[in-house]
Amino acid sequence: MTVGLVRNKDLKAGVRRSAAAWPIGTLRYLVAAIFTGFCLFPFYVIVTTALKTETAIFAWPPVWNFKPTLQSFYNALFVFGGRSAISYLINSVIISAVSTFLAVVLGAMAAYGFARFSFAGKRHLAFWILSTRFAPPVAFIVPIYLMVQKAGMLDSHIALILIYTAMNLSLVIWILRGFFSEIPIEIEEAALVDGYSRLQIFWRVALPLVRPGIVSTAILSAIFSWNEFLYAMVLTQSKAATLPVYLAGFSNSMGLAWGEYMAVGTMAVLPILVFTFALQKHLVRGLTFGAVK
Amino acid sequence: MARIEFKDVSKTYPDGTRAIVDLNLVVEDGELLCLLGPSGCGKSSTIRVLAGLETFSDGMILADNNRIDHLPPQARDCAMIFENYALYPHLTAFENIAMPLRARRLPAAEIKARVTKIARILRMEHLMGRRPSRLSGGEKQRVGIGRALVREPAMFLMDEPLGHLEAYLRVELRAEIRKLQERLGITTIYVTHDQEEAAAIADRIVVMSAGRLQQVGSFLDLFDRPVNRFVAEFVGEPPMVFLPVERTNADSIAVKGVRIPLSEPLRAALRTTQDRELILGIRPNDFSLGPPVRDHLNGTVTLVQPQGDHAIVAVSTPAGPATAIVPSDRRPAPGATVGLTFAGERLHLFDSAARALNKGEGDG
Repeated sequence: MTVGLVRNKDLKAGVRRSAAAWPIGTLRYLVAAIFTGFCLFPFYVIVTTALKTETAIFAWPPVWNFKPTLQSFYNALFVFGGRSAISYLINSVIISAVSTFLAVVLGAMAAYGFARFSFAGKRHLAFWILSTRFAPPVAFIVPIYLMVQKAGMLDSHIALILIYTAMNLSLVIWILRGFFSEIPIEIEEAALVDGYSRLQIFWRVALPLVRPGIVSTAILSAIFSWNEFLYAMVLTQSKAATLPVYLAGFSNSMGLAWGEYMAVGTMAVLPILVFTFALQKHLVRGLTFGAVK
Repeated sequence: MARIEFKDVSKTYPDGTRAIVDLNLVVEDGELLCLLGPSGCGKSSTIRVLAGLETFSDGMILADNNRIDHLPPQARDCAMIFENYALYPHLTAFENIAMPLRARRLPAAEIKARVTKIARILRMEHLMGRRPSRLSGGEKQRVGIGRALVREPAMFLMDEPLGHLEAYLRVELRAEIRKLQERLGITTIYVTHDQEEAAAIADRIVVMSAGRLQQVGSFLDLFDRPVNRFVAEFVGEPPMVFLPVERTNADSIAVKGVRIPLSEPLRAALRTTQDRELILGIRPNDFSLGPPVRDHLNGTVTLVQPQGDHAIVAVSTPAGPATAIVPSDRRPAPGATVGLTFAGERLHLFDSAARALNKGEGDG
């Protein structure tokens, strides 16, 4: 009698539980889908607007089903403006690539030092490096403008490269420091007794083992340099101006040429997207797994 | 191919912990010396200091009478095997073994020949293309051994190399290590906390405790003639039984009023000290159990652990707990009252400072 009762209760509870689990699981996906759509919708608008004809852009209600055209891309690249979007694109690529490379290489070496050596004031130095990110970049714009001007580096690639490298360094150092600390120390000790110097160990043992960290910091640095607007706007005119500067100037000088504007926007997103997807497969964790027990 | 000498080596950590205290030790050329002791006794610190992975506070280290303690690790020409293998995870087994040779910039053809030869000796040619994550524990440590062997260093330093392996692999690999070491004749320091392992492969064993060298000798030296209570207790399994002693005379003692027969050398040693707080040490296999006898040391059996041909018997006596090893067919039942007897010439006596009274003498 009691046994039967208990069983009955269990059964009910079980039914209730699975009945409750069904809508919650679905709801979770629904919320995630709505949020994803919300995030991606601007990209959808940018890309479709770039592919529409001018009449289709201004049509109301919006045209969902249209025949794509590359006319806006053609205009943006070859018709509008004195200088084509391509030269800005090249500036962006040069400045982002060089500053990312410098930030990752220098940052990795500094991070290795923080992870593996003890020296006086280590914690203060690490905190100071992080503190360079505390103030909003706009707070430094005047002194940096003056410095760049006095150095005769206005409207030069080198100025933006140096500034972006400095801004990315703190991020790279703090992320990679954690990755280096996770390498079992015995692996490096083994390399020491095998006959390698500290610098050789850094290049041949430590660096290959933090590859996921290198890749993720490279992606973050590249995205930052690619999208940075404020310093590029203030410190460059035309020779070294990057895509965000071009984009901002675009809407003013050309009125509101929406199709061309969005075409440049699409082109600005594409390279960094390709870069991220290309590196993504290296973002595997657990490379050190299996080295030590 | 080196005679290693520690001279007054001490290592004190910044927090005051003394990892090594005044270590004086000579490792002879071609010898396999085991450092044996409980964890935290300083045995690992000793070889890490020798390898140059850690600094020390005082003293000097010599290899063939040349000071090496100022050299960086890569210049000391020692090969090390780590407890947790410490292989390079991003390299194949072949490249792992080749790393010490690449550091010396050997020609590619010679590297290939030497690694292949080592792989054949260790019977792991088929594993050479694998990364460490695809090797079992035993295979990983074989690669670790291969990496140490490949360059024929001045000395091998092995830090509990078999600690993480299963029992049957330990026995197999330690025999292999000993065979290779004898063949190459390379001075080797082998750290372990496993006395059976030390007994099986060492030429000499160093027992360490709390950073201090306690005793150096063969396993039988340590077992039969321990210099102090620590060595007596640490070496031998199950451990030596200790019973407090009353002095009845200049050269006779008793345990709970029961007179203990002593050998002549022990009586002589006893006459040299006035110490009254003595401890008697008896190896479990020196006990015999029989029926209880009036005015003898009797006790109650509390636990019987059969081990195959013998059994380990725990006995509670008025003087304290004792352990005896008896043949399986003569093991008593738990709860039985038994009489304990032992041969007078196999006893050990320790003074109040835990030093053996009969140290260095043949007493059995």
